[in-house]
Amino acid sequence: MPWYLHLALRQLFPTGRWFPFFTLISTLGVALGVALLVIVMSVMGGFVFEIRHLITDTEGEVQIVARGGIADYRAVVGKVESVPGVAAATPYARDAVMIKFGDKPAFPMLRGLDLGSVERVTQLSHYVVIGSLDDLDDDSIILSMQLATSIGARVGDTIEVYSPLIINKLSADEVFLPRQVRVVGILEIGHQQLDSSTVYGTLRLAQDLYGLGSTVHGIDVRLKDGVNEDDAAARINAVLPQDIRALSWEDSFSDFLWVVNLERGMIFFLLLFIVIVAAFSVTSSLLISVVRKTREIGLLGALGGRPIHVAACFCAQGLFIGILGTAAGLALGFTALAFRNSVVLWITKVTQREEVLRRFYQFSELPSHTSGSTVALIIVLTIVISTLAGLLPAWKAARLKPVEALRSE
Amino acid sequence: MSDPVLSARALRKAFPSGDARLEVLRGVDLDVAAGESISIRGESGSGKSTLLNLLAGLDSPDSGSVAWGGSGDTGARRRAAYLGMVFQSFYLVPELDALANVLLARRILGGMDRSARARARELLGSVGLAGRSHHLPAHLSGGERQRVALARALMNSPSLILADEPTGNLDEGTGNGVVDLLLGLCSSANAALVLVTHNAAHAAKTRRRMLLTSGVLGDC
Repeated sequence: MPWYLHLALRQLFPTGRWFPFFTLISTLGVALGVALLVIVMSVMGGFVFEIRHLITDTEGEVQIVARGGIADYRAVVGKVESVPGVAAATPYARDAVMIKFGDKPAFPMLRGLDLGSVERVTQLSHYVVIGSLDDLDDDSIILSMQLATSIGARVGDTIEVYSPLIINKLSADEVFLPRQVRVVGILEIGHQQLDSSTVYGTLRLAQDLYGLGSTVHGIDVRLKDGVNEDDAAARINAVLPQDIRALSWEDSFSDFLWVVNLERGMIFFLLLFIVIVAAFSVTSSLLISVVRKTREIGLLGALGGRPIHVAACFCAQGLFIGILGTAAGLALGFTALAFRNSVVLWITKVTQREEVLRRFYQFSELPSHTSGSTVALIIVLTIVISTLAGLLPAWKAARLKPVEALRSE
Repeated sequence: MSDPVLSARALRKAFPSGDARLEVLRGVDLDVAAGESISIRGESGSGKSTLLNLLAGLDSPDSGSVAWGGSGDTGARRRAAYLGMVFQSFYLVPELDALANVLLARRILGGMDRSARARARELLGSVGLAGRSHHLPAHLSGGERQRVALARALMNSPSLILADEPTGNLDEGTGNGVVDLLLGLCSSANAALVLVTHNAAHAAKTRRRMLLTSGVLGDC
């Protein structure tokens, strides 16, 4: 090992002392910054990851839509399923309805499912916690969990469904009777918005309620494993008429993803300042060290040490603090992530706000997804910033002339 | 005849002093042969340390030249191999134990290996500190620290040792012991020694005794 690296290590970890105060504080500062970056970026990544899962589990990886709906959807489904990489396709109709149970109304979205194909495209049956998707028919619906709770409906109850057509019928002075449907299941996806405002019925029920005839609003597509969504969407578009478009889930939700990525970028940038502040603390400590060790620096010159190597000795201390701080920060961050749900649960129990959290929070659990590229970026930036923190002290040390340094008091 | 280990010619050095310049060295000539020991005495402020810094290549003369073994290369790399230095204030690295302080000279020169460790241990043994090789400088007495510094100066088997008042911070008895040790080690290693000292008794132990007065170096 070159002498300047050896000396840098020894100055950080002197013989006989395990973790000196300067090293400990400097490392902790960097570690806290890294830990916060890992935790926050992982939780934000978890949101995107969970949302991707929810979208693909409930709507497939590619969505086909058309202005005014798709009239001959069977032909379109046939074409789409013949495209390489496509596993299955299922049509749907979706619009807002009013439902009423007793005297409690609600205004959810009703999604009409094609029972013959929906299970080949979506994982909805996995989310049915009471009853079964198999029990669904044209006179029944499945309620999402929080919606059922809010109106007090249970499996076996009958509720009234009003479609937007009521406005047309009322303006034509026609009598309009709500559709009476049974609740055959309760579904819980784990996403606050979906769990509080979604109703599932058959495609025929939705078409009747919206007066669509045989038209559908769109088609969801499941791809075979490993198929790229954008490539598949492009291949599907090639076989579809111009007025019908296939979009990957990322394109369908591009605005949402752009906002999330912007937030992630901003938060990353802001949290990086913690590392930068920690680096300033390293600079300050190393500058003090240069002043304190002026005569030692002179000695190194007298023993034949070159100024560039004296500089490297101080730069290396920044580098080692960066490496140590990053390692400790990663350990701290991943440990905190491993216990994140226990911590959140404990806080909600102590504050007695479990229900509030569930009602307002997007997910029933705090999600986490750590991307390798994000971790790599955190590691590289932290180590570079810490090493740069040693530059100013290194430059000061390198500028000292041995003869003057040895004379200093 | 072989080149002297150290050769200085017409060294002049002045420092700014207010508006004027204080001339400290006014044309110093010096030749040191291999294995020779020389003492340089002089009053405080007479320029002894300035002269030693010029001889060590740590400072540049206003005029004149310094050569080591006939070569004018007095850069850092050559200094590590050619020169050993001993200072009044020892200048041990406080984070390193005695052995590591001795080895630091070899680390800087390059070529750290098992034999270097063995030599460092042997040198510590020769200065009477074999049992204290893993002690930090803070746990050593002044005399012990200076002995570690002696071992460090000899680590790379230099041709020349420059010692700047090595006993200045030691009591008389310890100082005598250190000078005897320094002379003995230089003699056994056939290294030339330039000893700057105030102490006439220490100077008397060297083969050649010189006096620096009014910026001029002469025999005494």
